[in-house]
Amino acid sequence: MAEPVDAAPQAGESELEAHLETKRMIVNLGPSHPAMHGTVRMRVELEGETIVRADPEIGFLHRGFQKSCENVTWTQCLPYTDRLNYVSALMNNFGFLNAVEKLIGLEIPERAKFIRVIGSELHRMADHLTCVGAVALELGGFSAFLYAIEARELLVDRVTELTGARLTTTFGRVGGLNRDLPDGWVDKVLKSLDKIALLRDEVDALLTKNRIFVDRMKGTGVIAAEDALDYGFTGPCLRACGVNYDVRKAHPYWIYPALDFDVPLGRNGDNFDRYIVRIEELKQCDRMVRQALSLLPPGPVILDDWRIVLPPKPEVYGTIEGVMAHFKLIMEGIQVPAGEVYDCTEAANGELGWYLVSDGGGRPYKVHVRSPGFAILAGVPRMIEGRMLADLIPTFDTINMIGGEVEQ
Amino acid sequence: MSVFALDRIAQKFPDALAHRYTDRGGGAWGVVKPGALREVMSQLKNDPELEFKLFLSADAVDRLQLPDPAPRFEVVYLLRSLKRGEVAQLKVRVPEEAPELPSVTPIFQGANWWERFIWDFYGIRFAGHPDLRRILLYEEFKGHPLRKDYRLRDRQPLVPERPLRDIFRGPGTSGAA
Amino acid sequence: MSEKEQPKPAAAPPPGPPPKPQPKNPGFVTATVDGREVVVKPGTNMIEAAKTVGSEIPYYCYHPRLTIAANCRMCLVEVSNAPKLQPACQTPLSEGLVVKTATARVKEQQRAVMEFLLLNHPVDCSICDQAGECKLQDYYMRYDHKPSRLEGSKILKSKRKVLGPQVVLDQERCILCTRCVRFMQEVAKEPQLGLFGRGSNERIDTFPGAALDSNYSGNTVDICPVGALLNRDFRFRARAWFLSSAPSVCTGCSRNCSTFVDFYGQDVYRYRPRENEAINKSWMCDHGRLTYKELNRDRALQPLAGRGPDARDVAKAEAAKVAATKLSALAGTPGLAVAISPNCTNENIMAAMSFAKDVLKVPHVHVSGRPTGAADHLLLTADRNANRKGLEWIAAGFGLQVKPFDELSRGIDGGAVKALWAVGGDVPEDLGAFTQIASRLELFVLQAQNESRLGAVADVLLPASSHVEDEGSVANQDGIVQRLRQAFPPKGESQPHWKWVSDLHAALGITTTWASAREVWRALSNRVPELASFEWDTKAPPAREARGLKPIPAAADGRPPGYREYGAPRVRGI
Repeated sequence: MAEPVDAAPQAGESELEAHLETKRMIVNLGPSHPAMHGTVRMRVELEGETIVRADPEIGFLHRGFQKSCENVTWTQCLPYTDRLNYVSALMNNFGFLNAVEKLIGLEIPERAKFIRVIGSELHRMADHLTCVGAVALELGGFSAFLYAIEARELLVDRVTELTGARLTTTFGRVGGLNRDLPDGWVDKVLKSLDKIALLRDEVDALLTKNRIFVDRMKGTGVIAAEDALDYGFTGPCLRACGVNYDVRKAHPYWIYPALDFDVPLGRNGDNFDRYIVRIEELKQCDRMVRQALSLLPPGPVILDDWRIVLPPKPEVYGTIEGVMAHFKLIMEGIQVPAGEVYDCTEAANGELGWYLVSDGGGRPYKVHVRSPGFAILAGVPRMIEGRMLADLIPTFDTINMIGGEVEQ
Repeated sequence: MSVFALDRIAQKFPDALAHRYTDRGGGAWGVVKPGALREVMSQLKNDPELEFKLFLSADAVDRLQLPDPAPRFEVVYLLRSLKRGEVAQLKVRVPEEAPELPSVTPIFQGANWWERFIWDFYGIRFAGHPDLRRILLYEEFKGHPLRKDYRLRDRQPLVPERPLRDIFRGPGTSGAA
Repeated sequence: MSEKEQPKPAAAPPPGPPPKPQPKNPGFVTATVDGREVVVKPGTNMIEAAKTVGSEIPYYCYHPRLTIAANCRMCLVEVSNAPKLQPACQTPLSEGLVVKTATARVKEQQRAVMEFLLLNHPVDCSICDQAGECKLQDYYMRYDHKPSRLEGSKILKSKRKVLGPQVVLDQERCILCTRCVRFMQEVAKEPQLGLFGRGSNERIDTFPGAALDSNYSGNTVDICPVGALLNRDFRFRARAWFLSSAPSVCTGCSRNCSTFVDFYGQDVYRYRPRENEAINKSWMCDHGRLTYKELNRDRALQPLAGRGPDARDVAKAEAAKVAATKLSALAGTPGLAVAISPNCTNENIMAAMSFAKDVLKVPHVHVSGRPTGAADHLLLTADRNANRKGLEWIAAGFGLQVKPFDELSRGIDGGAVKALWAVGGDVPEDLGAFTQIASRLELFVLQAQNESRLGAVADVLLPASSHVEDEGSVANQDGIVQRLRQAFPPKGESQPHWKWVSDLHAALGITTTWASAREVWRALSNRVPELASFEWDTKAPPAREARGLKPIPAAADGRPPGYREYGAPRVRGI
């Protein structure tokens, strides 16, 4: 850029042609800022409209997840896991439980696997809808945001009927699920999916071919596939770069091998591709949920072993064995054998990994969450340095960085 | 760690691996000596047959309360190879007296923030890191909270809290503010 | 038979038993437990031998200090020299034996024994004190985690039957291991419990018209593996998993039984005996158990200056200043007397005596303390003060003469003693009478742990913390020195005695290097030959006990869940 020059017009130059003095400015975005999802502070060094340097500062939502988990029993960790990616809490819950079950060496009942998949896909839809809606909102398309949120409300209602909570579900236990599906829930979900499909198509119609939207999203926030892998991108952000990696296909778990679905891929790794991948994934989730609901087998939703699972209440109140098992499991926790394990599931934003260490007692020794958002946020400076400030906003939206997950 | 990758590393760098074992879930782990860390990581990333290019994460474990607490820290690295479809699980043992490791940020950009996290919460330095400062906690914070000898209850408010004994601030926080 | 037949040649005698195998390690017995070799002294039973290689065999009725009953059948293991499972508590190891404690047969046996024990066990966990330290609970989760197969009702027996002043019995919860019966018979030598009835109606009880009033009845509560015998004093007061345990010593008499202090926040809920082969084995007397109440009741928590109606709250520094200036004004005069209680720890006594000798320049100290009682046949001594031996050693080491307390009261009465500095507020005479006498003093500085009438006539009352609120050491009447660990920080404004002495020094402008009890020890113990050889640092037991068979998982900082640090007490009316 031009060096600062004396602002006064030279001889022969009119005021209109005089050079403007420029200097670099450091602008602070956030942490309390509607576009900085989940309280992130971006210190951007601007040269005019161009971002020369961007430095995200995080930590405003750090609540001591790991330290808290080390001081409570395994089952008591579940509410903490809800609050990681709070938009899709079921995926955090089930991911954590999956890792604990792998550490103990448990095989959960078939029905539990199906319901876990259904719950995960419903919350994946909620997450993608929120992301797409937020993108539209911050680029000025308020209606699309409202449609997306209305669709999300339907999902949240269904999840409330299933788990009892709108957002922080704490659903599932080591060995399966704590509750079976309510009566009539399957039909309600199918009806909701129909409605959500309509809303999704509406959002798609409003945005995908919208000139303003396309201009702002295409070609902005670009990251090459090599860089994305280097930073540790996974999930829709990585797939938008064209890398075909989805944990559900690469290392299938639960009932994903039995389900028929595609993995949408992008090409350019820009904001628009991330958005398109999410829209397409919404369609795939719908497909998966419908298949899973039709294949749902009857049976128990949790294991029968009282070393892991609380006994049924009539036994707890009626027999000494039941009350003793209940007492020990609640007070001392599930005695997970000493060891470590790394397990991952495909959350809405990418590979949600869990590295658990147990010392043989009822409390975790270490719970490391490999949150997909952490790695992606680290790559944001790479995506926007050299671009314009206005491109920062859609970039921040499409990476779907959820503060709770990034900052644990 | 995939056994193939471990074998390959053992082949190329015979002295790099101090130990190999398999965990409860069936995954293979390689315990790498600190001096060989950069070579091993570089090999894992660039070897055309391995191609562990996806840096998943890095974290540390404080082994103070385990039956054999020495050396005190274990830094765990997790890498993924899309070509092979496997996860590489590496560990480096770091003693308490000299909590330092070579940084792998020059090799994997993604390690930058994870190493800052480990520095913030465990106090393990990474030599060669471009910008090693606290990431989630504020600069004035003293101590490294995820260490097992950092008490759950210790709060370090930047703004002094009002001394109300009736407010229960959560498990482990002192009744006196 | 004809006479002509030759007598048949005698048949060869049948072969005798095979010769005993030569011991692999002469003088010891070598056997294999779970694939690992053990070498133990002859006569060691299998439970102890298995412990040495880390194999845990469960048991209820076995206790290392009682005779063997082998009636619970929980410890049955598979052995190579018998087709049936053998009780590990009863069977000593023989040479070359192969013992397996975790085969399918043994596991099924353990499960079956648990099932039988639980058949008639009442559903009482929610109201039973033993929850959290109950062997039935712990073994159930490990060896039998199956639902009940009982159809029908359980046998009904007496519940909450008061057996004595300390013990209440719930006969339904009893598993008839007879540990209590054997203990009372063999250790306490007062056979006040017995087994009555047969079969399902068998029950533990006292003899008709008799009570379980031995001074050792509390131990039956400790050794009862289930919640059948419970301590009436502790009943319904706290849940075991909320209590932390610090190792300490009972200060009720000069036996100094080793104890665990169970506390929550800053309140002590009970004492439990700690195993100490040299002093109290695994037992404690009831008198000592109840001395924990002094740590909670009527504690002096606020320094006071002024006598009677003039008493006002003062800050610690001001109280020390007032006391120090007034005492030092009388230093060296015959009218100044010092009384030290033998219930203080060694560190407190050393600090007090160093002040008495070096600053106050008194030639002798008087010994206060609690009045003498009656000794019993086992643990309780007549001298009801914890550290008289320590006090005598320290006085000798510092060159101070020790005088009895009645000389002091006569001196005050006669007017020879005008000022008194008392470290410790227990008095071996009648408290009321001594309070009258003490009110004649011109200056009375009292460092006491509990509020009392005596404190009301003190000119300066310096609240002292108890022995569980600081690290320390005490010596019992046999000269055994033990270390005490700190359970929680001093309550209110109280401080250990040595800290008050340090403050008195500071008020007079003399610096001391005593920042902790350890520093007091290091600075002063070399003046006392008997204490100089005691390893203060290494002889200390670990600061907290891990509780239970499978200890409640402590948090990363060692505290149980829901632990609320040093705040308002959860239970009123302690």
